[in-house]
Amino acid sequence: MKTSTKRFIVLLMLLCMLLSSLSNAIADDDDWYTYSYSYWGEEMASPNAFAVTNVVFPATLDEELGRFSGATSLFCIDDLVFVCDTKNNRIVELRKVEGVYELVRIIYTVQLAQKFAEAMTYDGAVDNTLFNPTDIFVKKVTLEDRLTNYGEYRGDPYVFPDEAKTEETPADGEEKKDETAGEEEQKEAEETPTPTPEGGDGGEATPTPTEAPKAPKERKANVVRQDLDREYDLYIADCQHCRVIHCDYDLNVVSVIRDPQDDTLGKDFIFHPEHLVTDMAYRTYVQAQGVLNGFMEFNKDGSFKGYMGAAKVVISLIQKLWRKLKTQEQRDRSAQFVPTEYNNLSVDSRGFIYATISSLEDQDIWDGTATPVRKLNAMGTDILIRNGTAFPMGDLSWGNTKGTAPSGASKFVDVIAFNNDTYCCLDKTRGKLFMYDFQGNLLYAFGNTGYSRGRFQKYMAISMDNLDEETILVLDSLAGSITEFTMTDYGRMINEALRLYKLGYYDESAEVWKRILQYNGNLELAYIGIGRALLRTDNYEEAMRYFENAHDSENYSKAYQHYREQVVEKYIIYFVVAIALLVIIPKIVRKVRKLRKEIREA
Amino acid sequence: MSKVFSGIASFFKGEGWAHYRKTLRYALYVILHPFDGFWDLTHEKRGSMAAAHTIVILTVLTHLWDRRFSSFLVNNTRWSEFSIWLNTLGILVPLIIWVTANWCVTTLLNGKGHYYEIYMGTAYALTPYPLIGIPMIFLSNITTKEEGVFYTYFNTFALIWAGFLILCAVLMIHDYSLGWGLVAILISLLGMAVIMFIALLFFSLISDAVVFFISIYKEILFRL
Repeated sequence: MKTSTKRFIVLLMLLCMLLSSLSNAIADDDDWYTYSYSYWGEEMASPNAFAVTNVVFPATLDEELGRFSGATSLFCIDDLVFVCDTKNNRIVELRKVEGVYELVRIIYTVQLAQKFAEAMTYDGAVDNTLFNPTDIFVKKVTLEDRLTNYGEYRGDPYVFPDEAKTEETPADGEEKKDETAGEEEQKEAEETPTPTPEGGDGGEATPTPTEAPKAPKERKANVVRQDLDREYDLYIADCQHCRVIHCDYDLNVVSVIRDPQDDTLGKDFIFHPEHLVTDMAYRTYVQAQGVLNGFMEFNKDGSFKGYMGAAKVVISLIQKLWRKLKTQEQRDRSAQFVPTEYNNLSVDSRGFIYATISSLEDQDIWDGTATPVRKLNAMGTDILIRNGTAFPMGDLSWGNTKGTAPSGASKFVDVIAFNNDTYCCLDKTRGKLFMYDFQGNLLYAFGNTGYSRGRFQKYMAISMDNLDEETILVLDSLAGSITEFTMTDYGRMINEALRLYKLGYYDESAEVWKRILQYNGNLELAYIGIGRALLRTDNYEEAMRYFENAHDSENYSKAYQHYREQVVEKYIIYFVVAIALLVIIPKIVRKVRKLRKEIREA
Repeated sequence: MSKVFSGIASFFKGEGWAHYRKTLRYALYVILHPFDGFWDLTHEKRGSMAAAHTIVILTVLTHLWDRRFSSFLVNNTRWSEFSIWLNTLGILVPLIIWVTANWCVTTLLNGKGHYYEIYMGTAYALTPYPLIGIPMIFLSNITTKEEGVFYTYFNTFALIWAGFLILCAVLMIHDYSLGWGLVAILISLLGMAVIMFIALLFFSLISDAVVFFISIYKEILFRL
């Protein structure tokens, strides 16, 4: 009997193991998997809010394009997608036409007027090429606007000394052709001995090294596939050239930001802009390498204005006490408490800057003393609302260190804000995207690391932007691909519910939340949404039930208070009557007895 | 079977029942007059083990009821993780370890109390917890979140009261001065830690040993 029970137990355990591995397999092998977190921090499966609709590999778009190499950043505006192909020193512009991505042009160089020659000088020579461009920001600006703010910027084009030389001495026919190929059309490049169609590579400079102060760098000509007429301003973080180039859509330089001057910057500080945004007033906010005081803010004329949104220094009480106990010498010698460094930023439609920080301690993130994502107003104050059950920090279950899976807190490397104040954070640790609403509630998380569709290769820079309000593009720099996520009906419903709620249409919003609940009973936010509507329509008892489901004690308390009033109002009459009867009946009885007595006596 | 029932019936009718009620009611006197109360509890035999058991059971029940029936606003129980046995043992095991540790320590420190007296004293000292806790469960169900702070205040008050009573119990049962009593309590707490450590060690070693013998047994089976 003993062995039989043992056997039964073993069988049961085996079955359990099998079943659990089966359910894991479903979760893991699924293309990818969307979830949200419950009140208790458990992962709760959710319908897909975004679906992979396209994966763009550059080589398939145009033979000119080749592979992306260490592409760090991606920017979308209208139907255009700009990709900073950092290691290839170029910016690739794509366009989505009727669901298909097409190459518009490849930007290697910008054009400059004579007066920008000095500003564009790098390492002793005028240099209009890009050297590891890390980020691009594009905004709509009309020509009039630009002219009133910056004056005439086009002017006489600057002529490079090597080009000027070949123009003056047309003797070397072969080399002249090589030059003009860069300036005019690629077709002529066929005649050049070099197989590369991009003209103007530095070979021609070798016969006359005396002309240029230094050997001119390779200047590849831009490849233009579609000639679009747009009114945009481009801001390019030309990282290794230590400058931010501001140019119009035709790549004429409008202004240049470089060499910020300030006492806080050390003597040997080199300005390496990594990420940037601009606001309506032509101010530029730059996240630069090694700058710990926040974002560098530049005026319209390119002068350094100051820092913005300096990250608060997190010092624990124990650290403070310990520091008190130290002598001055020890204090000087010990490591400084430096504010953490921002790693990316983006701007929403109303001009608020969303910023991410990834160099944070896991424990501080968990305690909420460190904030991996922030929303900054013009003063640089963090105004992000954090009303969710957990702080906006990405994953809540961090995994253990035993497995091969990455562990630890999510590291946000990019953030985008949508027009309805939801925002999406990109996590480098597990290659996931986290969508938060304007209150800081996690709506859903999706994505993963890996090699299949909808997964990103880990440990490399990934960047994203929203092409429109329903499409997110994620650039995976290691795979060199762009993944397009498109919002599903479920995602749209959530947006709709949030939109109605923000407009104050609580009842209509509750209707949508009810529909959402049919798709996803795990979404606690939906229960709160419905509860709120019930609260407003005086359905207190039912509202309490919904709030209890969502573990929302604040709202539950409000509903309960009204419910209690209702109950008291309803039964107060019985209560009063009961009291009255208790008081009156004995009196009557006494009186009756008295009367009887009197009658009897009489 | 009839004997058992008649036994119980006679208990309820007879002297035992009256004694039990008297000793249980004595708990109310003890919590208001702790020094007199605990002295008489053991020295004048005014307490009983039955009453002590009752108070302990009530304490456990109050804790469970509190988890189950107190309002959602003050009660954040994760039901999927809730275990009635773990919650019961969570009170009983520390209680037993405390009594044991205290007995071990006071035996060495000239304490006058016996094991059962320490148990009885501690049990009587727990009286405020059910006494305040049970009304608080009702109260929590008619208050909002803001008013709910009373629930927290009163329950904390009950715990502080019980703690003070335990101190008094130790002083009176062992006939200690205040200083010695505090020292005894401190060492008892240390003793509790030691007992728990040894218990863990013991169980892990035993399980290792069992695994070892099982593997030897299996090995032998394979070789045969």
